[in-house]
Amino acid sequence: MARVGLVVNPGAGRDIRRLTGGASVVDNRAKERVAACVLDGVTVLSEPPMVSIMPDRAGIAAAAAENAPDTVTVEILDLPVEGSAEDTRRAVAHFRESADVVVVLGGDGTTRDAAVESGPMPVLAVSTGTNNVVPTPVDGTVAGAAAAVVAAGRVDTDAVTTRHGTVEARAETPTGEATVTGLASVEVSARSFVGTRALIDPADLVGGVVSRAHPTEIGLSGATGCLDPFGPEAAGGAALRLRDPATASRTVRTAVAPGVTATVGIESHDRLAAGETARFDVADGVVGADGEREQELVDATVDITPRENGPQLIDVRDALDRAARAGVLVRD
Amino acid sequence: MSDYTLDSAEGRVEALRRMLTIRSFDETAGERFADGEIPGFVHLYVGEEAVGVGTCAALNDDDYIASTHRGHGHCIAKGLNPKYMMAELYGKADGYCNGKGGSMHIADVDAGMLGANGIVGAGPPMATGAALSIDYQGRDQVAVGFLGDGAVAQGQVHEAVNLASTWNLPAIFVIENNRYGEGTPVEQQHNVDNLSDTAAAHGIPGVTVDGMDVTAVAEAVEEARKRARAGDGPTMIEAETYRYRGHYEGDEQVYRDEDEVERWREQDPIASFKERLIDRGELTEAVFEEMQAEAQATIENALAYAKEADDPHPSEAYEDMFGDSVPEIERFAQQATARTDGGDH
Amino acid sequence: MAQAGIEQTETMTVREAIRQALREELDRDDDVYMMGEDIGDMGGVLAVTGDLIDEFGEERVRDTPISEAGFVGAATGAAATGTRPVVEIMFSDFMGVSMEQTMNQMAKMRYMFGGKTEMPVTIRTTEGGGMGAASQHSGTVHAWIAHFPGLKAVSPGTAESAKGLTKAAIRSDDPVFVFENKMIYERQGEVPTDPEFTVPIGEAAVEREGSDVTVLATQRLVGDSLDVAEDLAGGTSVEVIDARSLYPLDTDTIVESVEKTGRLVVADESPLSYGIHAEVATRAMENAFFSLDAPIQRVGTPDTHIPFSPTLEDEVLPDGDDVREAIGRIT
Repeated sequence: MARVGLVVNPGAGRDIRRLTGGASVVDNRAKERVAACVLDGVTVLSEPPMVSIMPDRAGIAAAAAENAPDTVTVEILDLPVEGSAEDTRRAVAHFRESADVVVVLGGDGTTRDAAVESGPMPVLAVSTGTNNVVPTPVDGTVAGAAAAVVAAGRVDTDAVTTRHGTVEARAETPTGEATVTGLASVEVSARSFVGTRALIDPADLVGGVVSRAHPTEIGLSGATGCLDPFGPEAAGGAALRLRDPATASRTVRTAVAPGVTATVGIESHDRLAAGETARFDVADGVVGADGEREQELVDATVDITPRENGPQLIDVRDALDRAARAGVLVRD
Repeated sequence: MSDYTLDSAEGRVEALRRMLTIRSFDETAGERFADGEIPGFVHLYVGEEAVGVGTCAALNDDDYIASTHRGHGHCIAKGLNPKYMMAELYGKADGYCNGKGGSMHIADVDAGMLGANGIVGAGPPMATGAALSIDYQGRDQVAVGFLGDGAVAQGQVHEAVNLASTWNLPAIFVIENNRYGEGTPVEQQHNVDNLSDTAAAHGIPGVTVDGMDVTAVAEAVEEARKRARAGDGPTMIEAETYRYRGHYEGDEQVYRDEDEVERWREQDPIASFKERLIDRGELTEAVFEEMQAEAQATIENALAYAKEADDPHPSEAYEDMFGDSVPEIERFAQQATARTDGGDH
Repeated sequence: MAQAGIEQTETMTVREAIRQALREELDRDDDVYMMGEDIGDMGGVLAVTGDLIDEFGEERVRDTPISEAGFVGAATGAAATGTRPVVEIMFSDFMGVSMEQTMNQMAKMRYMFGGKTEMPVTIRTTEGGGMGAASQHSGTVHAWIAHFPGLKAVSPGTAESAKGLTKAAIRSDDPVFVFENKMIYERQGEVPTDPEFTVPIGEAAVEREGSDVTVLATQRLVGDSLDVAEDLAGGTSVEVIDARSLYPLDTDTIVESVEKTGRLVVADESPLSYGIHAEVATRAMENAFFSLDAPIQRVGTPDTHIPFSPTLEDEVLPDGDDVREAIGRIT
């Protein structure tokens, strides 16, 4: 029987951008409802796939499982729960061996955690987090339907998935080496500490490298997209270096965080081929991934490189479009 | 401004020093309690130092805080003197409350410390009230109400947050989520994973930060303070932290295992901040050891002071009931004075 | 009875007297403001605050959410930090909701903190049956507050004491509860117009002098007892004292009177057991035992709640007839 893995990150969508910007709150009850929608959505197939759910402390998986449609077999994985990103990674590693597709409910951070372990398994990322460049803002029911048709092999997986890129940063510091990986972007900030993680003040941003760029996206990929948009499937990426907008020869006005539109001064913008590196010198700052500060650095050199080794992401629209055209959604 | 902010190397070192002082104070208080020298209950803050220090680092000296039953850390973070705190724990006349409050009620209103509080959830209404005074008189201050994860289930907390939100008061509610409300895990007391989600019910922002990282707490409180002073109203901040010791000293902690405590100790707020300051070249191991010894010495001096300090005169029991005297109590005060004066002669 | 040295008076109702007190204190001190449910544009559910919002604005006459724990708690925090809130709790029966903030914070902070804070908060609330409001809107609960250390409680029986006590409460640096009996808001009396007039907390008033029996009364029963005294004049000489302040209680005035009359009736609408009556009787016994010529009599609610039906409400509420009977039993 086809199997869909489901990851619901209870911790997604709670960071400081709710205070400094306009990010919304997705509480547990809302996440539980999205999960319930996914379980309902898989019943578009007369033989729905089985769904395995990551366990969590908040009881989201348990509630969703309890209310699942009778025709759907649901199991909650018997895995330890730490209440950290490790839970997501552990569950996805398990799914890679046991499931055909994984549906991830969270934001860029959760999807990034899932991507560490997803390998070739198709990932359907549904936005319930904060800074959502990668996950699709789609109703859970529709996501469930798309996951079902892919998991059951009713559409050609290669045709409805694309490999997302990643951006890898390697930092050399006097005290050692550090690595940070982002899906959509890696940013360099002049702010000293990881602190509340979010890149809250655009004035702190020095630049970074993106794997995709479009003005519909929030953060560094949005700023880059104002200059030269390209999709997540495009090879390579782009490096953006910023400067004080008052002295910059050109600026873009873009959404740097939900509810925070800012004028950003452009120092330089360069397309990078896959594997090509942009170097940043950081005297005292932080390297972040997908809008979140990750690694504090002092006197460091950071090499940032776009790579072609991200998750195999399902395009919901494509998947259901092909399913419909193939008659999969019609019962005689 | 506060005596210390995290914007400078000096401020960061001072923040670390305060965390060390808190830890020394509470570890010492725990020992003295176990030895039977300190009466009553003590609730220790060991492990949670980054929350109090991060919060107070982002406040001005004249901002208010309303504390919890686990208040020693808040006191030291706000700048109270460990000498008079320890004297209060020993019930001495020179204690912050003249020996009438003890560990659970240390207060210094002039220093902006509106009291530790023995009632779970009592801090937020106090903070809302202080924010009301601030707003009413147009003062450039904010008021912080600390509360634990358990207190998020208290009605008065939500009434206080609602009032502060409805009246757009300069209040900040800092939830110290140390994972246990007394002896019951947070998951068994609340049906939201992020306690800050409850802010949404009151129309204010709620955020969750790493409460083991003093910089994260300070940054969030700084943003919340800016917001409050800009007239945008209150903020709820949940700091995820952990108490290494029991709910109270003597708690057998049947509700958790030592492994869990060890896992949290790996993120120790003092050790991790120390490492980061060393990496930044703002601190050396030697200086840190010196600071640790100084903190220990400060607390040993406080302890010696507290032990030698005078007990309150029995008539102190009749002081401070009201701003003036009432005959109902006055006669007992006179009897106490007469009794002890007679005994002395 | 007018205070010595105060000449100018004006006839007004208890309601007007309280409103005048509030107006004068709001005028006198910018740090004073009011908060409560529907006290602003609605003017108070029993119309006490009236149009004060038009004079002082919504910053100083603040409508609160229906949230007694929230606003009593906030008033406590505000009083500890430099302002002087005057809170209205619509019905005293609702005080249960804010009892934690009252008992553990407001009452204890000054003491627990070794005198490190003032607590200038005034709580006005309404008490009493008589309007068919049933058990949850008719209680007389002032014994709770009078009993609890760290709180002061006053209970005016006349327009004059209503004004003077309200003003004294607002000027006090301690928490003072002003218990207003809702059935006497329309009762009229002579009220001093001097804005500096106050009634000191802790002083009872001999409202009518007499020599045969003392009636120590509160709130509505002050007026009712004065009517009885008038009726009995010529036969029995009744001295009527308005306790005015329940805590602190003016023991001296009670004792002086009992030493003169030798007989005491305590008339208070609260339930009979463990309350005001017992306290007054004990103080008379402790201080004037050998002056007493007869057992002390109690007039109050017979330990029931206040029922809804007018017939039942009449049955349990103490009134002038009960005072008359009590006097009859010992004279």
